[in-house]
Amino acid sequence: MKPTVPDAISTAIRTVLHDTGRDAADVTPPMLLSSDLGLDSLDLAQAIVLLERSLGIDPFRAEAAARPVIRTVGDLIAIYTEAMSRS
Amino acid sequence: MNAIDLSRVHAEPAAERLAVAIDEIARHDATRVAAVAGAGGPNRSAVTYADLARSVEAVESALCVAKPLGVVVRARRVESLLAIAAACGRQGVSVALVPDDGRDLVGELREWLVVDDSLTVPSGGRQRHSLDSDPSHVVVATSGTSGPPKLVQRTWDAVLAAARLAGQWQGLGWLLAYDATRWAGIQVWGQSLLTGGRLVVPESRDPDVVARALVDERVGILPATPTLLRRLLASADAALLAAARPERITLGGEAADGSLLARAREVFPEARITHVYATTELGEVFRVADGLPGFPASWIGRELPGGVRISTRRDGELLVQLSRDSTEVATGDVVERRGDRFEFTGRRSDVIVVGGAKVFPKRVEEILRGVPGVVEARVYGQPSAITGELVAAELVLAEPLAEGATPESIRAAALAACRESLEPHGVPRILDLVKRITTTSAGKIPRRPATVR
Repeated sequence: MKPTVPDAISTAIRTVLHDTGRDAADVTPPMLLSSDLGLDSLDLAQAIVLLERSLGIDPFRAEAAARPVIRTVGDLIAIYTEAMSRS
Repeated sequence: MNAIDLSRVHAEPAAERLAVAIDEIARHDATRVAAVAGAGGPNRSAVTYADLARSVEAVESALCVAKPLGVVVRARRVESLLAIAAACGRQGVSVALVPDDGRDLVGELREWLVVDDSLTVPSGGRQRHSLDSDPSHVVVATSGTSGPPKLVQRTWDAVLAAARLAGQWQGLGWLLAYDATRWAGIQVWGQSLLTGGRLVVPESRDPDVVARALVDERVGILPATPTLLRRLLASADAALLAAARPERITLGGEAADGSLLARAREVFPEARITHVYATTELGEVFRVADGLPGFPASWIGRELPGGVRISTRRDGELLVQLSRDSTEVATGDVVERRGDRFEFTGRRSDVIVVGGAKVFPKRVEEILRGVPGVVEARVYGQPSAITGELVAAELVLAEPLAEGATPESIRAAALAACRESLEPHGVPRILDLVKRITTTSAGKIPRRPATVR
C-alpha cells in the first residue's frame, strides 16, 4: 500500500537528513525547506528520487519547463497531491 | 601433453589459421580436448579437436554450396561457434559474431545467412559473386558498457594479432568467462585454438562454479574483467580457491585497482598477473605486468613494444597512436597522474554530472569497496530534474556479516567513508543494498540506472 503524500514526504526528508549525518527533526508543512530544514538542491534531488520510489511519480520530470516554486514542506505536499490526483 | 609443431599454422593467412590449427592438432593428437562446456557444473561436456575438425569440414562443405555473402553465428554452444568461425575463415566467407541478446540485424547483415548449433547452412539468400575480391572479415559488437553496443568490422589479421604463440603456451587450459562473441572472448578462444589449448567454459559466472571449473579443469590461464575476478576472490569457496593454480591472470576490459591486484596476489601467489589495455576499436594497446595499477608515467610519449605511442589530452583522456603512420585515436578513457604512475579514473562517458560538477564512478566504487563488509559496489548516475544527475550506488554485502555488523551499520559506514573522501556532490545520494550486481555480457559493471527494482 502506498503511504499518504505527507507521510512519504516526511519520511523522504528524514531519510535525506539521516543519510547526510544530520538530525532528523519533525517535519511539518509550514517548515521552510532551506532555512528550517537546511535542505540544498542535492538534498531536494535526493528526496525527489526517494519520493518517486515510494509514490511512483516524479512531478518535476514532467514539468521541467514550468517548475513550480517550492519553499515549504507544504508546497511539496501540494505538488505531489496534485500530481497524484492527475495520475 | 606432447608438443605439436604448429609453425605451419602460423605461416598460413590469418583467416585460415583457426581451421588449419584444428586440423593439425586433430591429426597429431585426436583425443586432445578442445573445449569443455558446462565446466564446474553437473552437465559438463567435452569435445576433442577431432570432433571439432569434423564440424569445421561439415560447415565448409555447406558453405561451398551456399556461397553466402556472409554468415551470422547464432550458436549457443561454444564448439559450434568455433567450428563456424573457423570454417568461414578458411572459405573466405565473412562472419558476424553477434551476442545472443536478441539484437536485430542491421545493414548488410540482413542479407547474410544465420547458422546455429545445427551447423546447417540454410539455402537461399544472395550468393557471393565469384569475382568479389573483398577480403573476408569478422563483424563483432563493442561491449556497450556505457552505451548501446555497436557492430564493428575487423580483419582476421586484427582479430588474431595478439595471439601468443610461443611453444610454452601449448596445451594449456583457458577459462572463457567472457561472452564468446565479444572481442575479449574471441581473443581467448582464438589463442586457445591456435596453441592447442583446452577452452574451459564455466556453467555460469557464479563464483563457486568458476572456482570449481578452475580446479577440475586445471585452468592455467585465467582471463577476466576486474569485476569478475573481484567477485571470484570475494565470494568463492576458500578451499576451491586454494586448490586453483592459475599460472597467468590476464585482466582487461576495465581498470584494475591496487586493492584487487594485491588481493589476487595474496590468493594466487604463483600466478603472473597482467593487466591488458585494449579496446574493440584498437585491439590490444599495451599490457602492464608489474602488479601495480595503471601504467608507468614514463610510458607517455615513448614508443612502446609494437610501435604504440600513448599520450594524454589536457583533460586526461588517453590518446593512442598504434604506429608512426596511423592517426591518433582518443580512447574515451581518462587517466590521472599519481606519483610515478598514471592510473585510470574512468571512462569519459561514465562521468556523472551533478549540478555541473563531474564525478567518476570508479573513484566512488573504490571507496565503497574499501568499507569493511562491502564485497562489491556499482555506482551510476540517477537522472534528476533538479541537478541533472545524482550519484547512486548499489552495494553487495559480505555473507555472513562480521559479528556486530548490520546492513544498516555498513550502509552508514559507506556513506561516512564517502563523505570523508569526496566532495559533497560525489557522495551517493541513493544507496541500495542488493543481493548481486548484474554485469554486462562483457563481464563489466553497467553504468546505466537500474530499470527494474
